[in-house]
Amino acid sequence: MEKNHQPEVSSSFKKRDEEEKSSGADIVLPATESPECSNEEKPVAAEVTEVEIEKPEEMKTGETEIELIEKPEEKENEGGGEEGEATLPPEIDYNLETASEDVERFLSSLSTPKEEGEVGLEIPEFLEKYLDLVEEKISKHEPVETKVKGCLLPEDDASFLKAVNQISKLYKNLSAGFKLDSNKGPLINRIGKIQQRAMSHLEDEFRSLLEDPKLGEPEGEQAGADHCPLPGNDQSAESNEESNFPGYSHEVLGYLTKIAKEMISGGYESECCEVFLMTRRNIIEETLNKLGFEKLSIDEVQKMQWEALEREIPTWIKAFKQCANVYFSGERKLAETIFSNHPSLSDSLFSNLTRGVVIQLLNFAEAVAISKRSTEKLFKFLDMYETLRDNLPAIDSLYPEECAKELRAETTTARCRIGEISICIFCDLENSIKSDTGKTPVPGGAVHPLTRYTMNYLKYACEYKATLEQVFKEHSKIERADSTSRPRDYEGDSQNYKNDEKNHSPFAGQLMRIMDLLDANLEAKSKLYKDVSLGSIFMMNNGRYMLQKIKGSAEIHEVMGDTWCRKRSSDLRNYHKSYQRETWMKLLGCLSLEGLNVNGKVVKPVLKERFKSFNAMFDEIHKTQSSWVVSDEQLQSELRVSISAVVIPAYRSFLGRFAGVLDPGRQTEKYIKFQPEDIETYIDELFDGNPVSMAKRKT
Amino acid sequence: MPATEYPGSFLGRISIRRNQVIAMDGNHEQELEDLELFQKHVSDRFTELLSPPDDAPVEAPLSIPWLRKLLDVFLCCEAEFKAILLMGRDPSQISKPPLDRLIPELLDRAVKALDVCNAVTNGVDSVRHCQRLAEIAVSALNQKPIGDGQARRARKALNSLMSAMNLDEKEGGSTKTTERSWSFGRRGGNKDRAPGQFRPLSWQVATNWSAAKQIQAMTTNLVAPRGGEASGLASPVYIMSVVMVFVMWALVAAIPCQERSGLATHFPVPKQLSWAHSMIGLQEKIGDEWKKKEKKGMAGLLEEMQKMEKLGQSLIEFTDSFQFPGETEKLEEAAAQVAELAETCRRMEEGLVPLQMQIREVFHRIVRSRTEFLDVLDQGGKSSAPLV
Repeated sequence: MEKNHQPEVSSSFKKRDEEEKSSGADIVLPATESPECSNEEKPVAAEVTEVEIEKPEEMKTGETEIELIEKPEEKENEGGGEEGEATLPPEIDYNLETASEDVERFLSSLSTPKEEGEVGLEIPEFLEKYLDLVEEKISKHEPVETKVKGCLLPEDDASFLKAVNQISKLYKNLSAGFKLDSNKGPLINRIGKIQQRAMSHLEDEFRSLLEDPKLGEPEGEQAGADHCPLPGNDQSAESNEESNFPGYSHEVLGYLTKIAKEMISGGYESECCEVFLMTRRNIIEETLNKLGFEKLSIDEVQKMQWEALEREIPTWIKAFKQCANVYFSGERKLAETIFSNHPSLSDSLFSNLTRGVVIQLLNFAEAVAISKRSTEKLFKFLDMYETLRDNLPAIDSLYPEECAKELRAETTTARCRIGEISICIFCDLENSIKSDTGKTPVPGGAVHPLTRYTMNYLKYACEYKATLEQVFKEHSKIERADSTSRPRDYEGDSQNYKNDEKNHSPFAGQLMRIMDLLDANLEAKSKLYKDVSLGSIFMMNNGRYMLQKIKGSAEIHEVMGDTWCRKRSSDLRNYHKSYQRETWMKLLGCLSLEGLNVNGKVVKPVLKERFKSFNAMFDEIHKTQSSWVVSDEQLQSELRVSISAVVIPAYRSFLGRFAGVLDPGRQTEKYIKFQPEDIETYIDELFDGNPVSMAKRKT
Repeated sequence: MPATEYPGSFLGRISIRRNQVIAMDGNHEQELEDLELFQKHVSDRFTELLSPPDDAPVEAPLSIPWLRKLLDVFLCCEAEFKAILLMGRDPSQISKPPLDRLIPELLDRAVKALDVCNAVTNGVDSVRHCQRLAEIAVSALNQKPIGDGQARRARKALNSLMSAMNLDEKEGGSTKTTERSWSFGRRGGNKDRAPGQFRPLSWQVATNWSAAKQIQAMTTNLVAPRGGEASGLASPVYIMSVVMVFVMWALVAAIPCQERSGLATHFPVPKQLSWAHSMIGLQEKIGDEWKKKEKKGMAGLLEEMQKMEKLGQSLIEFTDSFQFPGETEKLEEAAAQVAELAETCRRMEEGLVPLQMQIREVFHRIVRSRTEFLDVLDQGGKSSAPLV
């Protein structure tokens, strides 16, 4: 054993007595010379000699041959100065660098296998000196604050890390070889103390570097520091803030990795992990905060006005997406980079770090899901539902199985709750239709606000059609054993359309149900009009509005189907017919030939009566119906055209046939108030919503 | 409401509970029986928590295993309560006075309980932070023999532990600073912190949220039903409310939590209620303890944390004065403490994660039940009643 490591030990600092004991007098030479040669050349020369002399002997043992050969170059110049006697003065020339090389050799000697029965190992003299130098180094490093963080790493740091590495190794090896309570105890204790000091410093440095990512800060502020994402981070499209997450430069990242490596191999893994955990957790909180995501208690959410809560939702969605797609994957990469050789460590750190954040985000969804429901909330809820649904895979892929399972369950629970509440809200529309039982008819038979509201709501809802279909399919099934409440049989509700294949989804069923309810409600409202014709106009207006809305949106059209639309169109035609019958057939009755001819002769008083009543009736119709409202232009013109088509030819022919019977002049003037052209003009004034008196027009 | 006013239709219901068809006359009796049983179960469960039966392991009150039992008790009571109130019952029954007022009040308490659950979950996170720091100290001081380096290492971890524990002190203090030590988003604040200190985790539920205030708010309107109400469904609603408030109060007392000053204030449970005896006993015990510790400032009454604090403090003293190789007597004393600290860490390691999961379970249960009650209230046609 002694022979084995002897060359290194003796290389430059061996004490005389040791040398004498082991390898003979030739080695004494440099040692004795050393006091005199304070310059650099001589000791080196001496060393070379020494090595050369020893070499043949070492070749036999073979173990350290390479090191021996390399030694002269490594050794270079200084460092030989105080070899031999540690007490001798010219120590200035022996610096950490050279000492470190000696230690390196010493360490590798320690790691070479020892023969059985060999007792202990020799502690080289230079060690104490080396420790002094390391302590000095630490002292220089210690005030972390004075250093400019995040800049290029000073060369110094590399040598510092190397020193820490050696100290750790020394401590590990020596404390394994010697008991602390042996005579080497004080030395080992000293090394342990230095190691602790160095580690403590590394911990601070690790923290202060971690605490200072250059995240999303204005370029100018961080002059000099380059904003580098983690290697492999795709930074192409995203904005600056996103792409450089977590925002450590390559240099800093490299340094962090090296520190972590030293801390872990030195046995200070727990400290390193704890700093990482606490620091990054706070940074994630800050990052969310910067996104505008504010922590709200569930109680607060219940008390918030919807207008205020509504504003929080897009922020939440953004935060959730960012976490799932940018921050968490960045966080994971960061952990993987810094703890690159410890995959299980980076796994557990990452899970620990972000699990709570996910739960926190989900709590907001839970809070919103239990807030008092109202119809206007549906769409924001569906946005949240989609966010939870679409971002789950991204989250899922990041976590180790156990944690992924928990988060999957949590996310799914939150999503289900939002799904269930969305169904309730959508079904609440039924109630709001049912409860709309106002007794005041809309003036002029115009489109009822309920129709407008419902149709626009449904149209908007159908923009979420795929999601709503899914929501209805997945969440209306959940039956509560002890509850007689929803769900009900959605499909059974729309018997009329059951054969339409597309409508077999529960959502379509619910939509149909709502349309049916709306129909029934409007039907009842139409009865509020004393004038049956106006009731028909009301139904036509509302029916037309519904049909236009449905035709105007592919999504809702798809749900309602062509069958429904055809049926609706035919309903409309029926209302049209009934309107014509009610209003215009009565008028045409005045023009019927029946009773006008008695024995081939026109009965003049009857004819006069007919003209009189026609005039009065038309006048009345014009007066009333020009105040009626048909705002749909096409419907309006359809109505006018069809009225004209019925009335004008009949009137024209009646006029042609009987105008001559009346005496020209005063009589004609009195009874024939309208020319066919006038009729047409007046018909064109119908349904404009502004009552115009005919008399007024005539003047 | 006097007993004679008991709604007539109420008796006319046919209960399908437990698959039994109970005729008109039997129904009310059955119900009284159920209520009595519920009271008895609640009482028994809390008696077990206060003084466990001989064959059961004795858990120190407010220890992790004890808290887990407490949460179990809550879940059991809650399930039974729901069965009594909802199963086989016509919705119109619980949407009638006085339940139409009492149940929404209960649900409002439930919402506040959810926040407490979240606050406590965060608190468990900070307990785990303490655990990890203590583990560092344990592993350093477990070296035989202890060197100066390891002693210093332990001391550093223990100092961090103490400052992590004492955050509550500032938080609980009466002077409210705009910059709280535990709040986030204070970059500038870094400079105030001595290097080597952990920046504390933010365990906020929300800005200005206060656990103590929340608990207090839960006790608003919490009055025992009197007269005829006492024999009706108002009684289980009251019992469940008290159980909920007590459980949340105990959690807040045990686990570090945002803003707890004035927590010791008792909530009013009339002493003459037989089912509440054990609960009142527990409450007094915990309340007294709280008053003793509150002034000192502390991380909470959690048994394991208290132990950790005590051991941590004395080990800090040990490491402060330690110089290699150390005195045998002191070393032996420290070794015993280290062993105890290691045991405490082990119990935390074993219990904290399940505790946290259980708290989450309670959270989900409360949410689910609340929804069910709202559904039933809705059906009862009282959906328009203000719920807040």
